[in-house]
Amino acid sequence: MAKKTKIDSSGIIRDFDLKRANVRLTYRIIYIVSCIALFIGVAPLIWIFLSSFKDLKEFITEMTIFPKSYDLSRFVVTWNALHFLQYYRNSFISVLGSVFCAVFFNGLFGYALSKIQPAGHKVLYTLILWGLLIPATTSIVPLFINITRLHLNGSFLPLWLSMGANAFYVVLFKNFFDSLPKSLIEAAKIDGCTDMYIFFKIAVPLSQAIVMVVVMYSINAAWSDFLLPYLTLKGSGLETVMVRLFQFRGSRASDMDILRAIVFVIIPPVVLFLVFQKRITQVTMQSGIKG
Amino acid sequence: MSTAVSALSIKKSPLSVFLQKNLSGWMMLLPSVILFSFFMWVPLFESIQLSLYKAQGMRFVQFVGLQNYFDVFAHPDFMPAIVNTFMYTFWSLIIGFLVPVITAILINEVRKGKSLFKIGIYLPNIVPGMAMILMWSFIFKPGDTGILNILLKFMGIPSQAWLTNPEWTIPLIVLTLTWKGAGATALLYIAGLQGIDPELYEAAIIDGAGIWRRIRHITLPNIYNLARTMFVLQIIAVFQILYEPLVLTNGGPNNASISIMQLVFRYAFQQFDYPKAAAVSVIISLILAVLTALSFKLNKVQDM
Repeated sequence: MAKKTKIDSSGIIRDFDLKRANVRLTYRIIYIVSCIALFIGVAPLIWIFLSSFKDLKEFITEMTIFPKSYDLSRFVVTWNALHFLQYYRNSFISVLGSVFCAVFFNGLFGYALSKIQPAGHKVLYTLILWGLLIPATTSIVPLFINITRLHLNGSFLPLWLSMGANAFYVVLFKNFFDSLPKSLIEAAKIDGCTDMYIFFKIAVPLSQAIVMVVVMYSINAAWSDFLLPYLTLKGSGLETVMVRLFQFRGSRASDMDILRAIVFVIIPPVVLFLVFQKRITQVTMQSGIKG
Repeated sequence: MSTAVSALSIKKSPLSVFLQKNLSGWMMLLPSVILFSFFMWVPLFESIQLSLYKAQGMRFVQFVGLQNYFDVFAHPDFMPAIVNTFMYTFWSLIIGFLVPVITAILINEVRKGKSLFKIGIYLPNIVPGMAMILMWSFIFKPGDTGILNILLKFMGIPSQAWLTNPEWTIPLIVLTLTWKGAGATALLYIAGLQGIDPELYEAAIIDGAGIWRRIRHITLPNIYNLARTMFVLQIIAVFQILYEPLVLTNGGPNNASISIMQLVFRYAFQQFDYPKAAAVSVIISLILAVLTALSFKLNKVQDM
């Protein structure tokens, strides 16, 4: 009996308790409340998805959850009217470069801190850890001035590179590389491999799990990022979807167009999440970082 | 290894041995050190420097000491922004801090379909902030076309002003924040709960402990450390709230929801008065440093 309990649940209520009627009732209440929590999390998203099929009149007057018809042509009209293709393309370019930088620079940094440890590595790691606590947005003003002085406005470069300096990812990478056996690296060194070669040919192939995680976190971060893209890309024609979404407010776009624009913006990360949900929730729990 | 051997045989000077040993490591660190300097470390100090100058556009004109700080303090929006930001933090601790803890404890009890619950509550976290905010602006719209008001009408309750009601603005904005963040935080707590040794519960049962006493003496002490980390992180995050008031209310009605980060945004990117924006940034950093130090200290006192 005791053994079975261990397998079944990590909860406070053990199998043994469920023999009692009032505990069974408590468990039912817990289940219902959990369902409500689930509903609160998912309902607004389902609502906005279904509503975006409606037209303005139906949206305002009809209280039905499901739209009268599922007419995709309305999405096409909005997509074209708001030039979404252009902004999707911009966002994709921004995300691609960001993901590469996030993996390459933070991975290299984490590896050097974990496995090579040249003089001064402890100081650097302390600085990184402090970086987790330092309010990030407060340095946005001098950062923006520096970017402008370097004439990097209206280019994706600052967005890409900014993802290469992420303290959370460095910590994730370092913790992972710490778990790789040191003997592996030593053996390669005795064979005369350079540090760079060992990183690319031995460390990275062994770290697909963590690379995948940083890829997914950084896709979401780059896709959702607003302030820096807004400041550097505004008016350049390279605006990402998030910047445009902000600018739709108070523009001539109708409510329904904005609603559909929101759906366009939400769909890529939601699809990505649903495909990789198992891994994302697992890693969030293991790493203690929300992503 | 190989460097040590060669150093012995050829007898190089200590400095060149030191360089040879570290050089390739430093080369690997270099690109990231440059990036971190450019995006994080240097701007931090430049904020302080910038806040002490008068500038024309992006050109420093004159050293003015603390004048920018005095000007910022004297601005009529400053006090509301500070008070509001503390109110955001206060409400987020009242509303947002316990929700993930309770959700986590409840969902961890669920025996069937637990992963479905985990996915569902995490889902809001991946919705981009800007989209999330605009979505809530439809829900909270005042007048007859707002979703909540339509719902209320069906229940026979008169329309509410929602965000345009100054007393509700901040708590409602905190509600949207909680909707987005609570599920992911709950997942972290669930991880903590699953790390609790089941034998502790078994032992408590043998001692005759009921469910409430198990929660009090086993569950809560075991997630206490995680909770206080989340506490500090939440203060840091909410104190920098910007997008929500910027998009939902633009600080209104009548400054009822303006946040301190919004002042930075207004000074820097609407008035192009960068030194004053930097001054506000420095003030935010100082307040956060004090708050963080305080909460660490409080925790230490409790540990003893």
